[in-house]
Amino acid sequence: GVTDVDMSPKYHFLKDRHVRFFQRTLQVLPERYASLETTRLSIVFFALSGLDVLGSLDVIDKDLIIEWIYSQQVLPTDDKSNLGRCGFRGSSHIGIPYSTKGPGVLHPYDSGHVAMTYTGLCSLLILGDDLSRVNKQGCLAGLRALQLEDGSFYSVPEGSENDIRFIYCAACICFMLDDWSGMNIQKAIEYIRGSLVSGWTYCAIASLCLMGRLEEALSPRELDRIRRWCIMRQQSGFHGRPNKPVDTCYSFWVGATLELLGVFRYTNFEKNRNFILSTQDRLVGGFAKWPDSHPDPLHAYFGLCGLSLIGEPNLRKVHPALNITQGAFQHLQQLHQTWRSSCGQQH
Amino acid sequence: MHGRVKVKTTAQQEEEKRKEREKKLKIYVAARDACFSKRKEGVCDDEALQLTQQLLSSNPDFATLWNYRREILMHLETVKDPDEMQKIYEAELSFLEACLKVNPKSYGSWHHRGWVSARLPRPDWARELSLCDRCLSLDDRNFHCWDYRRMVVKVSGVPVDQELEFSDRLIGSNFSNYSSWHYRSTLLPVLHPQTRQEPPHASSPRGPQSHRVCEEQLLKEYELVQNAFFTDPNDQSAWFYYRWLLGRAEREETISCVYVSREDERVAVAFSRPINARCVGLLLVLDGQPLRVEWRSVHPRFRHSPVLICDLPPGTINDVTNEHNLTVHWTGNHTHRDCALYTGRVESWCRDTATDQELFRSELSVEKTSVLQSELQSVKQLQELEPLNKWCLLTIILLMRALDPLGYEKETLAHFQTLKEVDSMRSEYYSDLCCKFMIENTILKMEYAEVRVFSITDRNLTSLCHLDQLLLVTHINLSSNRLQRLPPQFAMLQCLEVLEADNNFLENLEGVYHLPRLQEVSLKNNKISTLTDLQPLASCPELKRLDLRGNPVTQAASVESDLAELLPSVTDLLL
Repeated sequence: GVTDVDMSPKYHFLKDRHVRFFQRTLQVLPERYASLETTRLSIVFFALSGLDVLGSLDVIDKDLIIEWIYSQQVLPTDDKSNLGRCGFRGSSHIGIPYSTKGPGVLHPYDSGHVAMTYTGLCSLLILGDDLSRVNKQGCLAGLRALQLEDGSFYSVPEGSENDIRFIYCAACICFMLDDWSGMNIQKAIEYIRGSLVSGWTYCAIASLCLMGRLEEALSPRELDRIRRWCIMRQQSGFHGRPNKPVDTCYSFWVGATLELLGVFRYTNFEKNRNFILSTQDRLVGGFAKWPDSHPDPLHAYFGLCGLSLIGEPNLRKVHPALNITQGAFQHLQQLHQTWRSSCGQQH
Repeated sequence: MHGRVKVKTTAQQEEEKRKEREKKLKIYVAARDACFSKRKEGVCDDEALQLTQQLLSSNPDFATLWNYRREILMHLETVKDPDEMQKIYEAELSFLEACLKVNPKSYGSWHHRGWVSARLPRPDWARELSLCDRCLSLDDRNFHCWDYRRMVVKVSGVPVDQELEFSDRLIGSNFSNYSSWHYRSTLLPVLHPQTRQEPPHASSPRGPQSHRVCEEQLLKEYELVQNAFFTDPNDQSAWFYYRWLLGRAEREETISCVYVSREDERVAVAFSRPINARCVGLLLVLDGQPLRVEWRSVHPRFRHSPVLICDLPPGTINDVTNEHNLTVHWTGNHTHRDCALYTGRVESWCRDTATDQELFRSELSVEKTSVLQSELQSVKQLQELEPLNKWCLLTIILLMRALDPLGYEKETLAHFQTLKEVDSMRSEYYSDLCCKFMIENTILKMEYAEVRVFSITDRNLTSLCHLDQLLLVTHINLSSNRLQRLPPQFAMLQCLEVLEADNNFLENLEGVYHLPRLQEVSLKNNKISTLTDLQPLASCPELKRLDLRGNPVTQAASVESDLAELLPSVTDLLL
C-alpha cells in the first residue's frame, strides 16, 4: 500500500520531460523505429494515451491526428466484397492513396490489423472523437473473419500467428463498439482457460473482465492462484516470469492484473515507484525497459501507467482493463448511452 | 528497439552511421516498391522470392511479406515436382535459421517455420528438434521456441517419455529453469495419469491442469524437486513446481447446502462455486411436483454468487403441521440435493460441512497423511538451515493447513509472523492470507461445536471471505477489527439474527440487505457518517435494536427523527 515517498532528486517525477517526449514521438520517429512502420498506429496510441495520463493532450493538434487515424481505416467497397478485410491499418506503408471517407478502394493486399483497429479506436476516444465515422459493420465483420475454431484470433485475415494477445484486442474492440457480435465469446473463453499457463496473464484477465465473465470462467481457487503468481512477480519493480529481470512495463501488465483481481493494494508501492523512476530518462524524458537504457514510447507509456496505478500525483487514473484513462472511458460510456437510447434497445 | 544500452559515439562516427543508414534506406524502399508491384500483378517467381528475402532479413515482422512469400511457395507447388519443392523448402528453412539468428523472438519467423515444416514433402523432424535444442541452449526461456518444440513433438509423434528425458537433461544441468519444470508438468499427466476415482457422470474438470499424476510417479517427482530446492532454496522454479505437485484437481461441482424457512417461505441454495442466477439450470421439486420459482442472488450488485434464493408461492409450506420434501436439481451438473422439512419444525437444512467438503484443505492432494507428513518434515529441515527463506515458510504453512488446520493453528500464525518479516515487501498480502486462514479456522471450530455462532474479534481483519459458508449463522461478532465495509456478499447470511461489529472502520453497510431475521445490530465506534450509509438497514423488516454510539452520524442535528422515519421497526435505538 501507500508508504512515504522518497524525495531525493533521483526519484523526482519529471512530468514536463515526458510531455515533450511524447510530442516528439508524434512528430518524427527516429530511423531505428523503421521496423515498426507496419504498427505505427500503436506507437501513436502510446503517445496519445501517455499525454492523456499526463493531462497534457492540449499540446497537440487533435483534429489533425483524428483525420490521420481515419485515413488508416480500411472501408468497405461499394459492393462490400471486402467486409472481412475491414478495420484499421498500422500506417500507409502499403501505399493506398490518402482518404478519410469511403467507399473503400479494393487492393489485393490491404486489410486491417486487429491490434491497429484496437489502438485506433482507443486513440480516437482519447482525442474525444465520437466514433461516428467508424464503419462498425466493417470492423465487426473484419473481426469475425479473424477468429479461429479454437477461439483464438489471427491479426490479419491472410493469417499470422494466433494467440491470446489478439483475443484481448478483439475483446477491447467489441467492448468499445458495444457489440459482441464481433466474436464467439464462449470459444474465446475456452481458449483463454486452455492457455492460462502462458505469460500473457494480463490479456487473459483483462479480456475476461471486459466480457464480464471473470468469475464465470475461473474458479475462486484459480483466481487465488493467479493472485499469488502475480504478487510474487514483484522484486522491486515487476518482472514477467521467474528468474527474469524486472522491466518497467510489467509494473502495468502485472500491476493492472492485480488491480483487476482486487489485490494491488497489497504490493509495495515505494519499491515499485523507485524502480520505475530509475528507468526515467532525465534528459529526453520517457522511460526505458531497464536503468541506463534508451527510452521508447512503449515503456514511456507503461511506466506512466505503472505510476498512475500507485496513485502518483498529477497523473490521471487508468482503466486497468481497457488501458485508457478513466476520463476517456467515461467519454466512451457516454457514447454507449447515446447509441443505446437512439436504438431503443435494452442491453 | 527497446532495451538498447546507451553508448557514446563521436560526431564522425555519427556521420558515418548516418550515411550508411541512408544507403540502406534507398535499397529497402526500392526493393519494397518492386515487391508490391510484382504482387499486384500476381507475379510469383524466383525474383519475388529474392526481393521478399531481402526485405524480411531486415524486418522479419512485416507480416504481409511472409504472406506473399507463402503465396509464392504455394504457387510453386503447382508447377514443380516434389523433389524440387523439397529443395526449395529446405532452402527456406536455412533462410529462416538465418532470420532466427538475428532475431530469435520474431513471431513472423517462427510462424513461417511452422508453416514450412508442415508442407515439406519429406520433413526432418529430428533436425527441427535439434534446432530447438540449440535455440534453447542459448536461451532456455524463449517461449517461441518452446511453443515450436511442442508443435514438433505433437505433429511428429515424439514419444512423451523421450520428452520427459529431455526435461530430465535440462533440469539436471540447471535446476533453475522455470520453463523446463513447466514443460515437465505438462508431460507427466499424459505419461503417468492418475486413474480417476470419481463416478463416471461427474462434471468435466475445469481448466488445463486438472489431470493428475499417479502416486508412484508423484513420489519420484517429490524426490527430484526436493533435490532442486535443497540445492538452491532461493530459486522459485522448483518451489512453484512443488506446489503444483502437491495440488489437486478442482472439486466436483455440487450443491453444498439447501436451507428452507417455513416462516419466510424461502429456499436458499449454496453451491460449490459462484454461479449466475440467470444462466443456471435449477429445478425445484416440492413433494414430487416441480415448482416454478425465480432464483435470484442475495444482492443486486452481486450477480455471480455461490448462494441463490427463491421465494415459494405463499401458503405452500407455512402450515407447521405439514411435512414437506424438497429437492433442488442442478441440471447442468447432474447433481441434486434433498431437504426434508418435518412437522413442527420452522426451518430445515441439508448440507456438507466444510470438513466434509475438505473445503479448506482442497488446495492439496488426496495424498496419504503419511506422505504429507514426510514432506512437511523435509521442508522443516530445510527451514532450519535457511531461516530467511520465504518459500520454505510458505510451503510449511501450506502443508500444515493440508494436514490439520486447527491442530497447527498456533504454529501457522507464528510462521506468518516470520514470513512478514522475511518478505516484508509482501507483508500486507501475507496479512490478508493469514486473515483468510483465521476465518477458515473459525468456521471449522464453529462446525465442530455444532453451533451457529461465528465470532472473530481483535484479529486485524481488513476483509471478509467465505461468507457463503455462513449461510446458517444466527449470531456474528466481528468486533475490534479493521473492517471498512460489509460488502454485498454479506447478504448471504440469510439466517442472521444478531450482528455485532463494534470498533471497526465501517462506513459501508451494503451487504446488510434484506436479511429476513435480523433483529439486533451493534455498530459502536465505527465511521458511519450519513443517513445514506444506513439505508440498507431499512430493508431488514425485523430490525428492533440498533446501537450507533460513537459514530459521526450521531452528531447530525435531526438524527433521531431521521432514523425514526428510515427505520420505523426499530424500538431500541442507542445514540
